[in-house]
Amino acid sequence: MAIAAETRSAGNCRLCADRRNALSPATIAGAHDSAGALPPAPVETIHRIATDSGRLGESWFHRLLADGLTDTRYVELVSVVASVVAVDTFRYAAGLAPWDLPVPQPGAPTFRRPVGAKRGLGWLATMAPEDRTRDDPDLYGDEPGPRRRTGANIHRALSLVPDAMLHWWDMFEVMYQTSAQMRDFSREPRAVTHAEMEMLAARVAALNRCEY
Amino acid sequence: MDGSGDVGVSAAADLLAFADAALQRDNETVSKSRRAVVTVLGEAAMLDAAAVIGGFDGITRIADATGIPLEPAKAEQTAGFRITLGIDRFQREKT
Repeated sequence: MAIAAETRSAGNCRLCADRRNALSPATIAGAHDSAGALPPAPVETIHRIATDSGRLGESWFHRLLADGLTDTRYVELVSVVASVVAVDTFRYAAGLAPWDLPVPQPGAPTFRRPVGAKRGLGWLATMAPEDRTRDDPDLYGDEPGPRRRTGANIHRALSLVPDAMLHWWDMFEVMYQTSAQMRDFSREPRAVTHAEMEMLAARVAALNRCEY
Repeated sequence: MDGSGDVGVSAAADLLAFADAALQRDNETVSKSRRAVVTVLGEAAMLDAAAVIGGFDGITRIADATGIPLEPAKAEQTAGFRITLGIDRFQREKT
């Protein structure tokens, strides 16, 4: 919940606004307008992802690891930031008030890391469908299933933390469409067409300077 | 981006203006563009469009914050228009 709250703080952060308008974010120093519950390093990480993700580079990520952030914690952080951004933007666009953040519930993290996860795609280890071992969940088909995800690179992005990946994709497919729906041009599952959805997706990606 | 140009979608200008306003967090413009989408496409379409805008505002963070590359086949298929649209310059802006 602290990551979620900090994601919302990033939207009103003066430093982030100045950096976003700068030729290079590295030229602008200062302190973030923070919700106050997290140390400076995760605050910087959350704010950059929430406000200027299109200019994040691999050297930036490796500096985070060198400063002590683990790869799995980073994946969880990215998942939470993305989820909050997605829901908040949807509700803002639709004219709905932001949801109150939920109260944290008791429970322990699973610490489940796929045995078949490998380096070589992007900055983090990921698990491709073909690299799944008998000890790994079927993230693309049957966990908790049926999902029928294709295992595209973007599906694999958060696979180092299975729960983070599943939480994101289960929500995203409700907001957009499933892999099967995306490729079935004989049916329109939404009140907007395939063409309208892809046009909107491309526009948002361009505004966020997302190469993928 | 000015939203001009024919992309073969009848309500393109209204939908693109809606997306722009939502990402810019411009209250006045987003209200106006939301009403325009409802008028042209209906309330259900406005809600579905808002969901797509929100979903892709989130998923772009995942793609960029994990360094996930485009699949080779997609990169090959889109090489021409990525240059035309200036998408390749995004890579050079990373820090």
